[in-house]
Amino acid sequence: MANRLFLYLLFTASGFAALVYQVVWQRSLYAIYGINVESVTMIVSAFMLGLGLGSVGGGAISKDPKRPTLLLFAIVELVIGVFGYFSLDFFAAVGKVTLGMSTLGTGLITFVLVLVPTLMMGATLPLLVSFLVRSSKNVGKSVGTLYFVNTLGSAFASAASVTLLLPHEGQRGSVHIAAICNLTISAVVYAMHRMTRSAAPTKTEAPDSEPAEASR
Amino acid sequence: MKLTRFQLVLLIAALSGFVALSYEILWFRIIASATWGLPSAFGLLLAAYLFGIAVGSRVSGRFCKDDAKEGDTGPMRALAAFTFFANIAAWLVAPLFAWLAKWTWLPPLAGVAVAAGLLGSILPLVCHFGIAPDQKAGQRLSYVYLANIVGSSAGSLVTGFVFMDRMSTPQIGRTIAVIGLCLVFVMVFASGLKGRSLQLALAGVSLGAVIIGLTNARVYDRIYERLLYQSDFKDDTHFADLIETKSGVIAVTQDGTVYGGGAYDGRFNTSIVYDRNGILRAYGIGALSPKPARILMVGLASGSWAQVIAHLPGVESLTIVEINPGYLTLISRHEEVRDLLTNSKVHIDIDDGRRWLNRHPDERFDVLVQNTTWHWRAHITNLLSVEYMQLVRAHLSPGGVFFFNSTSSDDVQKTAATEWPFAMRVYNFMAVSDAPLSFDKGRWEHVLQTFSLDGSPAIDRSTKNGQELYDELLAYADTIKETPTDRGLEARDSVLLRTKDARLITDDNMVPEWRQLLRFPKLE
Repeated sequence: MANRLFLYLLFTASGFAALVYQVVWQRSLYAIYGINVESVTMIVSAFMLGLGLGSVGGGAISKDPKRPTLLLFAIVELVIGVFGYFSLDFFAAVGKVTLGMSTLGTGLITFVLVLVPTLMMGATLPLLVSFLVRSSKNVGKSVGTLYFVNTLGSAFASAASVTLLLPHEGQRGSVHIAAICNLTISAVVYAMHRMTRSAAPTKTEAPDSEPAEASR
Repeated sequence: MKLTRFQLVLLIAALSGFVALSYEILWFRIIASATWGLPSAFGLLLAAYLFGIAVGSRVSGRFCKDDAKEGDTGPMRALAAFTFFANIAAWLVAPLFAWLAKWTWLPPLAGVAVAAGLLGSILPLVCHFGIAPDQKAGQRLSYVYLANIVGSSAGSLVTGFVFMDRMSTPQIGRTIAVIGLCLVFVMVFASGLKGRSLQLALAGVSLGAVIIGLTNARVYDRIYERLLYQSDFKDDTHFADLIETKSGVIAVTQDGTVYGGGAYDGRFNTSIVYDRNGILRAYGIGALSPKPARILMVGLASGSWAQVIAHLPGVESLTIVEINPGYLTLISRHEEVRDLLTNSKVHIDIDDGRRWLNRHPDERFDVLVQNTTWHWRAHITNLLSVEYMQLVRAHLSPGGVFFFNSTSSDDVQKTAATEWPFAMRVYNFMAVSDAPLSFDKGRWEHVLQTFSLDGSPAIDRSTKNGQELYDELLAYADTIKETPTDRGLEARDSVLLRTKDARLITDDNMVPEWRQLLRFPKLE
């Protein structure tokens, strides 16, 4: 139970960081590619497609119970954090050489720019759902709770972005704070993975595992 | 063709995503008008939306019983009920902003949270209905999540590109509501209800559709008028013109004042005699630039400024970059500025100003004019930062002038005066250059004497009043020698001294947008 609550807390922080990135990256990309409706739609759609494809990837990985979902989650957060930390410089460098492109070209470049982190972000929900359903056997509650904590983190981030982060830290400071969140989550989840492994080396990883009949 | 349970779940997830994102886009448009594009308003709207989604998903999780069995259609009935009420609540959110406009735009955010909460309940319920709690739960969830995201993207594209370009806001509200009710119909049919229960459920949903159809026009009546006039809204308050495109909403009041995205965007007037829009500043370009042959103007608005600039003595070409094509429609409807669209000197590009400059690195201009909107509006940093000014510099001919509206922001004025070696304030505009700069009295006199629009001079000096106005306007060039006033000229050193506590604006710090978290702009 304690493990599960801790995971919820970490997933809240993960949702917080993800939305900070989204807010800042959108602003950064608007400055490069324009704030007209075509650019805005392209950028938002690129975010969504990345999240969707990431979700499918995470789902595909999660179906094998032998795969260490906690370790995968830690790796995903690590990749997001590292990318996030250097993201603004990366966007600026790519923006310089791709400015003359058409709207479609801009959309494709934007999609590629945000592909890696949004794939990772999208993968987190199915990974953790798979992890929690192994013990709870209740999809609705697992999805509902994870979606709740992750979205709650995003809601806090949305409010914090406009009241604290952007006004005081600017774009660069904001993504650095988000990156620190991701790296911390990664380290903590990795420690949880190690602890779970050492506690039950032969058993499939699951939080507070208990036998339960498959029911819905 | 009969859908499997899981295919039905994917369809519902996609449609619910479509409806939710479509509403969100509509709400963003409304709150933009309500707040004149205040940056924090977008963040707070998103926070309310996400908070509602989060709570909705949490509450709906309680409807997901552990002992539910395969084929149990209970969750689908709950889902249909949630979706029905979500749709009604979401349909009412846009008008709620208008009805409560007199009490500011903050209270309706609670309505956003409630509607989003009901919409947010759909995903967990639909997952519980269609995903077995086995080892493949994560994988199946990913497909449902993907379907939801594909639907959301489609909602964003269809509503943002098609609906908003071809429909009015009331029509969009009704269209999304109808799509939402279609989704409820699908759920009712899939809920396992039979006989009288099914008939009652279908009758209830149909009644909802009829009520929306019959009341939509009244519920969405004059939303933008209510948002703008707030407590001054009367039964007979109507805009003279309202143009809605995918790029935004343009409204014109009965006295010819233009509002773009809810914010003041100028007035129709080209006359320096009846100057109700500070058009003197447009005429002043002739005094600031020794050779204003090639001019670039970022932002078109009512076209009044462009019309004056195109007729300034010495102007050979005027390139205008405007982000919202709706302004071309607006101009075509107003005789005073209509011939801008056919003037051979004038070329209009529909694009983002900053992007246009980036995409035309070889273009050079004698003057770059920008009647910038309020310094605190969202994304305005893109047109006011140090980085932008460096971009502008690369597009100026030797001795070229950048002349832009600071909307009286100390941060903007300090940035301009710091970034450029030669600068002066003209009213609330900043004129900056890499070459020595002056509001030259001789050039100003030449403009006032020779300017002609449709054969009419700027000022009819044959009358006493005309001559007095001429003398008064000519003396404007001398205000640089006087103690600075809000409406006069001010030298660079004075600007720097006065704004010493202000901050330089960069793309990163976005200073002017975050100086004040909440604003409640009102019609003056």
